[in-house]
Amino acid sequence: MTNGLVLAIIGAALAALLAGIGSAKGVSLVGEAAAGVVSVDPSKFSKVLLLELLPGTQGLYGLIAAMFILLRTGVLGSGAEALTTQQGLGFLAASLPIAVVGLISGIMQGRTAAAGVSITAKKPDHNGKAIIMAAMVETYAILALLISVLMILNIAV
Amino acid sequence: MNGTKYANAVGAVRAMENNLLSRSDIEQLINARSKAEMSSITASKTGTAKSEDLSDVWAMLMEYAPDCKELEILLYRNDFHNLKAVLKAIISNRDPKQYYIAPSNVGLKELTEAINTKDPSGLPEYMRRTASEAYELVTRTLDGQLSDSLIDKAALEAMQNSAAASGSEFMQRYAQLTTACADLKTAYRCCLLGKSAQFTETAVCGSPELEKDALIKASLAGTEQFFSHLETTPYSDGAALLKESAAKYEKWCDDVLMELAESARMLAFGSESLAAYFIAKEAEIKNLRILSVCKEFGADKETITERMRKLYV
Repeated sequence: MTNGLVLAIIGAALAALLAGIGSAKGVSLVGEAAAGVVSVDPSKFSKVLLLELLPGTQGLYGLIAAMFILLRTGVLGSGAEALTTQQGLGFLAASLPIAVVGLISGIMQGRTAAAGVSITAKKPDHNGKAIIMAAMVETYAILALLISVLMILNIAV
Repeated sequence: MNGTKYANAVGAVRAMENNLLSRSDIEQLINARSKAEMSSITASKTGTAKSEDLSDVWAMLMEYAPDCKELEILLYRNDFHNLKAVLKAIISNRDPKQYYIAPSNVGLKELTEAINTKDPSGLPEYMRRTASEAYELVTRTLDGQLSDSLIDKAALEAMQNSAAASGSEFMQRYAQLTTACADLKTAYRCCLLGKSAQFTETAVCGSPELEKDALIKASLAGTEQFFSHLETTPYSDGAALLKESAAKYEKWCDDVLMELAESARMLAFGSESLAAYFIAKEAEIKNLRILSVCKEFGADKETITERMRKLYV
């Protein structure tokens, strides 16, 4: 295994790891707030569940980026490529947008969605507004995923 | 994840806030013709015909946030009231149980044991010295009023100290407002009764917005000087009502605390929302009691409306 391949695998790991941590933290925070509401009013379960799902997407984006790296480097499928250090660094750098933005946006989206749980608890008819507010944070995770994927696909192997 | 504490408890509290009585519910209650009608209105809102006790509210908050130490400050007044009650009951050979107020941070058994054995080590830190001093004072002088003012002042000091130690701005403001409201009333009474500087000094606690020395000086100078001094403080509105009637002043004090509680209504995390809910329930229960007493004595609608405390929702 070349140094370049090790660097690419580290990049894939970072994308899945950091974005996953962000999602786990975000989902758990919304889950806490949602559980508080449901413990008093179980009929609101489906409405708060939607909010709880939102910060989970960053983990999926991290997974997608990691899969692309593993496919492009041949770790999954045709056999691992003998990557140069430069190519490896390229994959590592490509993983960073979704890794870092996934971590931060997952946590921040969790905070926004947990605050939105309060809206759902008090005014269930305005649940959609809470979802929109939390979904706004998602934009930046999507942009980060887009740039990571474009970079991964355009590194010459 | 700083600043995201008590998300679960706040979520639960937000859901429970839907069951708080609203302005229109209170209007319906005022217009109700019988106790049965009042009970049915309350039950339709809260889901139970049984009038809720503050102990239940406290137990529920502790279930959701058992580690939230700063909330205990809300019960300091009850703790110190119970200390007064137990002291007096023991000295006059009565059962302290009938004077005990719940919810409280300190159980009746612990309090009674501490006073009986003259060993306050089983009491919380903030009460120990006061318990010893008050016991010594009341057994030496047999002056209940003096020990009461010592305990009342100690309660306010303990609230301010614990609030400052907790670092919670909300609790600090709560302690300051509670202290200022109590100090105003105490200083006015001292002024009316012509109490000595020494007694007033023992009774008044002082807070950042209502400086102790200036308040004592104004209280000793007579009612005119007293109220003209208060006009220069942030409590001039309350002072004007205090001059008018004690009932109006009490309502103002409760409303000031409710305004503080309202500041936490939009927060998604933190202990402030829990404290605010407790204050809201306290006001709601007080409103229901006032309503029930007023109805019993045949008070007219205007009088009842005038006495209703500000609502959280």
